[in-house]
Amino acid sequence: MATQTANRDMHEKGTSLWADAWVRLKKNKLAVFGLSVIIVLIIITLLTPLIAPYGYEQQNLELGATPPSWAHWFGTDVFGRDLLTRVMYGGRVSLAVGLIATTVALVIGVAWGATAGYVGGRTDAIMMRIVDALYALPFIIFIILLMVVFGRSLLLLFLAIGAVEWLTMARIVRGQVLSIRNQEYIEAARSMGLSTPHILSRHVVPNALGPIIVYATLTVPQVMLLEAFLSFLGLGIQPPQSSWGVLISQGAEVMEDSPWLLIFPGLALSITLFALNFLGDGLRDALDPKASKD
Amino acid sequence: MTLLSVENLTVKFHTRNGVTTAVDQVSFSVERGEILGIVGESGSGKSVSCYSLLGLVPMPPGKIESGRVMFDGKELLSMSEDELRELRGDDVAMIFQDPMTCLNPFLTIGEQLIEPLIYHRNYTRQQARERAIELMQETGIQQAETRFDAYPHEFSGGMRQRVMIAMALITEPKLLIADEPTTALDVTIQAQILELVAELQKERNLGVIFISHDLAVVRDLADNVMVMKEGKVVERNATAQLFANPTHPYTQQLLNAVPNGAKAYADLSQDHALLKVEALTTSFLDRNSGQRIKAVDAVSFDIKRNEILGLVGESGSGKSTIGRSILKLVNADSGKVIFDDQELLALNRKAMLPYRKRIQMIFQDPYASLNPRMTVFDALAEPMLYHGVANKQTVESQVLDLMDDVGLARKAVKKYPHEFSGGQRQRIAIGRAIATKPELIIADEPVSALDVTIQKQILALIFQLVEKHNLSMLFVSHDLSVVRSLCDRVMVIQHGKLLELAETETLWQSPKNDYTRKLLAAASGM
Repeated sequence: MATQTANRDMHEKGTSLWADAWVRLKKNKLAVFGLSVIIVLIIITLLTPLIAPYGYEQQNLELGATPPSWAHWFGTDVFGRDLLTRVMYGGRVSLAVGLIATTVALVIGVAWGATAGYVGGRTDAIMMRIVDALYALPFIIFIILLMVVFGRSLLLLFLAIGAVEWLTMARIVRGQVLSIRNQEYIEAARSMGLSTPHILSRHVVPNALGPIIVYATLTVPQVMLLEAFLSFLGLGIQPPQSSWGVLISQGAEVMEDSPWLLIFPGLALSITLFALNFLGDGLRDALDPKASKD
Repeated sequence: MTLLSVENLTVKFHTRNGVTTAVDQVSFSVERGEILGIVGESGSGKSVSCYSLLGLVPMPPGKIESGRVMFDGKELLSMSEDELRELRGDDVAMIFQDPMTCLNPFLTIGEQLIEPLIYHRNYTRQQARERAIELMQETGIQQAETRFDAYPHEFSGGMRQRVMIAMALITEPKLLIADEPTTALDVTIQAQILELVAELQKERNLGVIFISHDLAVVRDLADNVMVMKEGKVVERNATAQLFANPTHPYTQQLLNAVPNGAKAYADLSQDHALLKVEALTTSFLDRNSGQRIKAVDAVSFDIKRNEILGLVGESGSGKSTIGRSILKLVNADSGKVIFDDQELLALNRKAMLPYRKRIQMIFQDPYASLNPRMTVFDALAEPMLYHGVANKQTVESQVLDLMDDVGLARKAVKKYPHEFSGGQRQRIAIGRAIATKPELIIADEPVSALDVTIQKQILALIFQLVEKHNLSMLFVSHDLSVVRSLCDRVMVIQHGKLLELAETETLWQSPKNDYTRKLLAAASGM
């Protein structure tokens, strides 16, 4: 009987870190709110071509820049284009660059940093010197080179940004891993004969997750702004396409005459970042079994 | 006049999880020239009852609910923070458990010693220096003149504790509170420090409160002993009486928890050893001198089937390195490790894998040896699944069986390590070690981090598991009484060299080596 109860309990609640983290995350109201906001934003941007009230390049030069009205909820820009539509289309680019580039940075950075920190010695020295060398490389030149060699494409832009952002992640992870690898439970795992990849994925990385998640949530706005900067230089997306970063920088130029052109794209970006931070904090707590339970 | 009298002191901690009574209606007093021992397990309130008097307990969450404390004619509890600080630096001094963390690594010993003299007593630097050197000599620090300008890391643990004592005495206090001052030290050093405390106390007519979890330590030192449990005083008596006739069941339990007696059960005449270690040598590179230092120096021994072999030595003697070298957690320089007729040191990772299943390790600190982000279930299931002892279908029931084996509740299986006490965590670690059904277990100080009564339970568990699963064990420990109660044979090592290896009782009755004799004397003298 006792066995059966215990078995059933185990299936109901799950025993792995991730299953438990999900249970805990669902109890955290702020994190659930953040997650919902992000999901809603993603759905809106995915459906944009179907639900956008106007076309993103549809101009109405007679109208010019008008404040928000019933016809144009967010107002229009100097070319008479509907701002709501442009914010929705811009979100597609910004969210995509935020998520893809951050994922790229996360995957490369964690794998690289964890391996260097855990293996140590000469491997560590070589791997980290490569990171240093890449740091020293001006990233604009790096991205221009990529664009010249592979031609211009959005996906490549995302990957290129990710390929720059992983460097800091690798350093952070390595620092964490250096202290974790001297813990006794790592030695216990080694004495059991577990393989290095197994130890890294099961014992090392889960214990370094806190800083990783925090840094990942910080990376998302960083890459969104980086994309705006590259687009400003003409290396990113091309007009009439747009992104939040581009809309914000354009809005900032005319903020005295038409403040709504800055306010609405700015709001969209801020809400996304708030939601991401709530989710990130929630995830960090949920993944730490020691954080208080309720 | 009584130096310190405490009446009905109650201290509570208000936390988010409710109110805990750390100290409950405790009364005691200390005269000048008296040593009062306060004994209890961790969490019994023995430290809090002293710290709260001096304003050293953070408030909130701590709160002194009631009580009257007179020190040298002054009421302490109504004093302001500034007055208390004045008192702490002056009339009352403290020594703590870990001498390393209490010294500032960036200042020389001398600088830290003269600080209170310059600030509290308006000494000039020269006067303070002379006084400090005098005290260093008194506390048994050799070449005090030159050591004055040394940094803490240049001192050994025992020497650091001497510095702490010198520091505590420099303002000529009337009361000395020593909180587990010898717990972090080796037995022989422990004995020296205790002797020093007793000597200084007599010379200066000090009142001393000596806090310890170890009854044996208090026995020779204290005039009176007070036993605490869960914030309450359970028994208080003159030391001799308390040890002769403990009246409270808890005191009796504590006294019984000190392991004694001998056991021998393995058939030592068998000539086929399970593990044979030949001339094992392991060295480390010393970064300062650039030289290799031999941590283990040509050590040879064997472990028979079903035998528990004790490995005794002080910290730094290389005893942990022996265990780690066998498991190839550190690389040995030379020598042979032969397990069941197979040499292990030359094997590569893959060839070694089946032997890792058969040799397992238990670590000292159950707080460090368990991954904080793995549930007990995952921690126990991992080695089983990895080594194919269980498959996905059977792993659940096998883990639950294992929980029974090590005496943990089955429903605790999905909890995380931090939700367990130290003893329970060590049970998990033991469970993990026997999960693969090994033949040999290397236990590296498995009970040193635990309270005495818990120690006894864990030792009993180890003993029971050894019998049930026909295990052999290399039992590394610095605690001789534990080794004596558990092991068939004992080997003593110092500076990486094997000094003596004999059957337990033979070693106790007629030790051949001087160092062994010293160790045994230090252990029984306490």
